[in-house]
Amino acid sequence: MAIRLSLFLAVLVVTIIIGVLIVLVMTGTLTAGLTNNESIIARHLNDISRNIAQEYGRLAVETINFPKELSHSIDEYVAQYGIAAAEIVDHPELLEDIISHAFEKVKLFLLTAKASGSFIILDATINPRLPGSENSRAGLYLKNMEPNIISASSPNITVFQGFPSVGRSNSLSLHSQWRLEFDITSAENYKNTIATAAANPNTSLSRLYYWSTLTLPQTSEKIMVCMAPLLDAGGRVYGVCGLEISEMLFKMSFMPNDPTFKRMFSALVPVSGETMELSAAMIAGGYSVRSITKDNITRISPIKRCALQLYRTDSQDSFIGLDTTVNMYPNNSVYADNQWAVAIFVPEEDIITSVIRLNHNLFGLLLLLFLFGILFSLLLSNKYLEPIQKGLALAKSVDHNNAPQTKVPEIDELIQFLNRHHKEIYEKALQKDLSFAILDEFIEKTKTLSPAERKVFNLYVKGCKAREIADKLFLSINTIKTHTKHIFVKLDIASRKELNLYIRMLKEIGKEINT
Amino acid sequence: MFRKFAVIFVLLLFLTAALTGCGTLGRANKIASISLWHNYGGQLKETMDSMIDEFNETVGLEEGIIINVTSISGSASIHEKLLMAANRDPGAPSLPDITTAYPKTAFMLAEKGLLADLSRLFSQEELSAYVLAFLQEGLLDNKLYVFPTAKSTEVLFLNKTIFDRFAKDTGVTVNDLQTFEGIKRAADLYYKWSGGKMFFMADSLFNLTLNCYRQFGESFILADSLNLQSPVFKKVWDVYFKPAVLGHTAIFDGYATDLARTGDIICSVGSTAGISFFSSTVTYPDNTSETVDWTVLPYPVFEGGGKAVVQRGAGMSIIKSGPETEKKAAVFLEWFTRPENNIRFVASTGYLPVTKEAFNQIMHGEYEADDDKISELRNITKAMQEGYEFYIPPVVEGLDGLQSQYESSFRAAAANASAAYIKSNDPEAVESIVENAYNEFVQNMTAVAGAD
Repeated sequence: MAIRLSLFLAVLVVTIIIGVLIVLVMTGTLTAGLTNNESIIARHLNDISRNIAQEYGRLAVETINFPKELSHSIDEYVAQYGIAAAEIVDHPELLEDIISHAFEKVKLFLLTAKASGSFIILDATINPRLPGSENSRAGLYLKNMEPNIISASSPNITVFQGFPSVGRSNSLSLHSQWRLEFDITSAENYKNTIATAAANPNTSLSRLYYWSTLTLPQTSEKIMVCMAPLLDAGGRVYGVCGLEISEMLFKMSFMPNDPTFKRMFSALVPVSGETMELSAAMIAGGYSVRSITKDNITRISPIKRCALQLYRTDSQDSFIGLDTTVNMYPNNSVYADNQWAVAIFVPEEDIITSVIRLNHNLFGLLLLLFLFGILFSLLLSNKYLEPIQKGLALAKSVDHNNAPQTKVPEIDELIQFLNRHHKEIYEKALQKDLSFAILDEFIEKTKTLSPAERKVFNLYVKGCKAREIADKLFLSINTIKTHTKHIFVKLDIASRKELNLYIRMLKEIGKEINT
Repeated sequence: MFRKFAVIFVLLLFLTAALTGCGTLGRANKIASISLWHNYGGQLKETMDSMIDEFNETVGLEEGIIINVTSISGSASIHEKLLMAANRDPGAPSLPDITTAYPKTAFMLAEKGLLADLSRLFSQEELSAYVLAFLQEGLLDNKLYVFPTAKSTEVLFLNKTIFDRFAKDTGVTVNDLQTFEGIKRAADLYYKWSGGKMFFMADSLFNLTLNCYRQFGESFILADSLNLQSPVFKKVWDVYFKPAVLGHTAIFDGYATDLARTGDIICSVGSTAGISFFSSTVTYPDNTSETVDWTVLPYPVFEGGGKAVVQRGAGMSIIKSGPETEKKAAVFLEWFTRPENNIRFVASTGYLPVTKEAFNQIMHGEYEADDDKISELRNITKAMQEGYEFYIPPVVEGLDGLQSQYESSFRAAAANASAAYIKSNDPEAVESIVENAYNEFVQNMTAVAGAD
């Protein structure tokens, strides 16, 4: 009975657990981790894309003002030599003075724009007679090595490219990879800016600035530059100038700092359809992602039940994240077709781990609930059955009159019922004139039984049947029947039923039958 | 019965805890991002980047540590940033978890209670693997605040391509550069030979002076001032100040590598770590250039002095944060200085490894350097190990300010004296100008120290 009761309760527990699971599935609780991750990533994307839009917008404005101010200054300066700025190329002897003159503005824009670098490149070279001079350009490139510190007593500025005299006269050291002139052999952004400006005369500078990423020549440092053409008073292009954001500055400015996903990173990346060119992206993240930055990353598919996207690199590294387009150019810019996006990426395994961890805990709690339910079922059934079992034992006992009260009313009622039943039998016996004297006489008569008859009688008293008695005494059934007949005659009874009545009544009144 | 059920229940609890608890998933959740500032720029940056990548992807992944570089700049710049951060100046960045630091910077931070005692984070057995002298440099009040990562000393760098042309015409030899007096004479000849170019520069005038004093068995640094009254100081003045006034040696607020790139000097003393910054191309003002070879020579001595030179090289310090973060930062330092990693890091640089095992491997030539220049440097430093005393300059309160004051005053005095000499238009006037400058300099610097 205990096992059946336990099983019954266990079935109840299992049913409840299954019910809870169905509710969890239907309410989306099992995928809540994913939803939670989506909101985390969306929040970072929102913050970082907004910051990037603001900062890059500000830098674009500075880049537009930069050539305006420089050109005005250079135009005035070269005018004293009776030439236009676009004619500098024919006067290399003036380059050092022109660059020295431009130094303060280049430095000013570097500091006010909070950029990591600022530069001016003139479409001219110091020594046109040198072999390879067609790809050599004079200019000045200043780098702020600590652009994220706004209150350093003296900014840590070095001359990356340009005349060393300019640096030395302004107490600036040369960058460890310093060069006197720019090598434009593979400087597509320079050539592009010059060519586009030349091809689009009378176009506002706000429509001609150009964003590009590159590795800083002679270094491994990735940078992003915003470049604009230098136009003289006659609208002729004579160089470029611009501002730089180093990878470190980008990282310090736009790195998502998430307590859950330490390997989360953000990227400002050129987009073409579903593919993002990570090799041309600026990336900010605590975890080194340098190994994947040579790849492209492609949107593969949306993740079910949420807005997150699955991305995969050319090297088959998978990431989950979100991206949003960011306007780097005004609508009617000549570069308006260049699409950029801000994206937040998290390695796929980190997202899976996070979701599994949440569900792991949930399933653990359900398992605990299940185990606790089973244990409680066992405990409860045992506790419940204990008084019942005691009561049943009492019911089986002979002396119902003195039976104590159990804690189970139904058992008490049963005992009372049995007690009443026995009394009724007793009263019936009295009604058949079976008095105690008759019972005493019956006992006396049993003393007249022979030893063989006595053995048979004793077994009847114990409740055996004739066949059983024959087996026990190793006698034939006919012999037993003969002994039974003699017993009936000697005891003055007519049947086995009457014999059993005598035996039961004697037991009930506590008389002993001398066996 | 109840007891039996209680035992079962407790077992179930353990089972459930094991199923839901902090297994590998739990560990993954406890990733700590450790920010790092270092001064390994130029070619070293690439090596440092790849090593940090490797750490993050191996030991870091297992231990839940991500090293995140948040600043790469020169040691002077890092020193300034640390000061700003420690003083909570407006706009100052937050202190990182690990930073490269010279003892003078580290001790300043330690006095403000900002540094973790590294001897708590490493066992004695672990520390015994490191060269004792390198460890001692980072000790203050028996607490280890600077963990040695890579060490350097000073040597003489020489543009051999130009020097050979000069030597061929003048008879000057490399042996002449064994002493500062020899360098002074060579500089005089070079000035004339080159048509007025400088020959020599000391990267750090302060270290030059320190070395000079040490070579004569004296200390330049006193308790709270500089020992300018010693006659030894006159030697520094004679071999460096006077040539500077004459235009033979450089007085320049920057590294010698700057002037070397443009051929404005061809010889310098400086840190072995600087070797990677000497460009193999010299560019002239007309944008012509030539490819040059640089050679390394032992640190020169002052005539009559012994062989002594400072031990240099910043170590790394852990900023006090919490036991967990400090422990994880220490895991990185331990990994970074393991002999195999330490050798890899210094292989392409002029640094020396810091563990006994790696140091011995380098010194016994068991590890090939990445290029001939480094290999030559190794041979020189190995030779110097046998004859030179490498000493650790004392760190006293206010030393940073004294050093800056000394160097800027020295440069200003030389610039003024040089201008006075040019203005005098009298070759004989140099002696009196230099002598006057000496007296004035000693008087002014003594007044500064007294004022402090």
